[in-house]
Amino acid sequence: MARVELRNIHKSFGATEVIRGVDLTIGSGEFMVFVGPSGCGKSTILRLISGLESVSSGQILFDGEDMTRTAPSKRQLAMVFQSYALFPHLTVAENIGFGLSLGKTPKTEITRRVTEVAKILQLDSLLDRTPRQLSGGQRQRVAIGRSIIRNPKVFLFDEPLSNLDAALRVSMRLEIARLHRKLGDVTMIYVTHDQIEAMTLADRIVVLNGGRIEQVGTPMEVYENPANTFVAGFVGAPSMNFIRCCVDGDGVARFGPAGIRPTRPHEVSGDALLGIRPEHLALVDSGQGTFDAEIELVERLGAESLVYLRAPFLERAITVRAGGALGLSEQKLVGVQVDLTNLHVFSPSSPTLKQDP
Amino acid sequence: METQNRLWRVLLLALPILVFSVLVIWPLLSSFYYSFTNWNGFNRDYEFLGLRNFAKIWTDRLFFNAIVNTTIWMVAALVLPTLTGLFLALLLDRQVRGARIFKTVFYLPICLSAIVVGQIWIWIYQPDWGLLNTFVKLAGNPDFNYAWLARPDSALFAVIVAWSWQQTGLSMVIYLAGLTSIPSEMLEVCEIEGATAWQRIWRVVIPLLTPSTVVVVALSMINSLKGFDILYIMTGGGPFNSSDTLAMHMYNESFKKYLMGYGSAISVVLFLIALTVIGVYFRQLRKVDEIYG
Repeated sequence: MARVELRNIHKSFGATEVIRGVDLTIGSGEFMVFVGPSGCGKSTILRLISGLESVSSGQILFDGEDMTRTAPSKRQLAMVFQSYALFPHLTVAENIGFGLSLGKTPKTEITRRVTEVAKILQLDSLLDRTPRQLSGGQRQRVAIGRSIIRNPKVFLFDEPLSNLDAALRVSMRLEIARLHRKLGDVTMIYVTHDQIEAMTLADRIVVLNGGRIEQVGTPMEVYENPANTFVAGFVGAPSMNFIRCCVDGDGVARFGPAGIRPTRPHEVSGDALLGIRPEHLALVDSGQGTFDAEIELVERLGAESLVYLRAPFLERAITVRAGGALGLSEQKLVGVQVDLTNLHVFSPSSPTLKQDP
Repeated sequence: METQNRLWRVLLLALPILVFSVLVIWPLLSSFYYSFTNWNGFNRDYEFLGLRNFAKIWTDRLFFNAIVNTTIWMVAALVLPTLTGLFLALLLDRQVRGARIFKTVFYLPICLSAIVVGQIWIWIYQPDWGLLNTFVKLAGNPDFNYAWLARPDSALFAVIVAWSWQQTGLSMVIYLAGLTSIPSEMLEVCEIEGATAWQRIWRVVIPLLTPSTVVVVALSMINSLKGFDILYIMTGGGPFNSSDTLAMHMYNESFKKYLMGYGSAISVVLFLIALTVIGVYFRQLRKVDEIYG
């Protein structure tokens, strides 16, 4: 319902600058997900949009109207917190109707709206309970109910599923996606560190790092065409493999005994980093692939296996996504076939994700 | 090794149990025992009176006077410091300048003994040159010399004010701790939903402070039931028994009139009243626990 624009936003806490110039436009009705490692500033941006924190400089606009100094309650937005922030002394119905009860809405109208919202979220049978009598998923639904009852223009979600167990997280994720469809063109801004949530829910993803935007794009754009090694390493699990190489004048990337020519266009020459997703590597017999490597570890996940390989010319182990029922043993030498159409070539100076070796 | 440890544990526990038994259990049981006698507190000889001491209570006009005063004392000593403590905590919880100094100042009286507090307030209430009357005189009533502690209609309330002044610091500190434990998200919800400052305090902060209120009420109740020393020093139960509480009345009967048996009967009744009040309180506590965990 509202287009949200951030113009050159900066935010400092004391001497520490946590948001360093963010420009972003979130379309009306768009589901935008902010992802990034802890401390990257994703929650801070959300709090700046909500007005709970004020910007150090820059502008925030809703539908072109400057909201930078507007009080949170006047921004017509709703926020769902990780901790649910439900009032323990109020019933489910009172929690959902909290915002309406603060104004001059008649009681009958509040009851009608609460019933309506409870029906959408399947909370109708729980209206008289207190939050303590609810499960984590039900509590989060009440928190969502409290936010949708006022028909806000913008929805803000601050890691809403992080407190739930894995199974509940999956079902709540589906519910949020369903809710977005049901509510029509409501703008939703969602902060998470969970990539699956980001990939499945988002219309577009914003990848943040150190208070800056690294890339904005649809989930598949970000996955298939990462702007730099940070995005490439952060989005996707298991992470993209990086291999240090040298690109010669003919465009051939050389590392160890291997020399391959990536088919995607790129402008890097000399020292470079080759990025290959685990699913774009295949295991073949030794001597038959692009290069040989030794199996260090095999993680069998059922439907698939993750095979970790080492070779003298590789700085760290590389991961290969392989079939589930794999008759491979550790320490065995295998060949690795690289899919040349899905090779990414990055400049070594591109921002990188800090990884444990 | 294990047996030696156990021996130590028993020995270390035995000492406090012994002290508790001699100083609490033994006097408690003795006063139950003496409440059925006419012991005067000195002589070895005394007679068993059965329930006659308790029957006498029903005809004791001063006992019922003490019951009324005790009720007023307990309710006021519970409500006043709780409300002022809550008010000060809400005021000082924000990042106001000098909040730390004010917190210390308001907490200080609790460190004083009731006797010192009593003396301070006797001085404040002094009719001719006391602080209170001096202010009233300066405010335009030069002939004002009301004797706050010597008038039956104001004596009890004057002591209640002094008591509340001392106890406020305690409830303030407990409420300040309670305020820091309110999750900031709950207050942020108020901000986003557009609650006014009054709505935020009344509908969110005060209900969320219930666990702190439980502690404040329990401490105030126990302290007010024990409240004897400040009454003793400021009014001695007078004038004309107008500030005579059950504890005062029991003291006067036992140690001034040497009717230890009758005094013990009064203390048994006081004990039963305290037990009932605390019992009701604990029942309520369970409900609070169900909501706030």
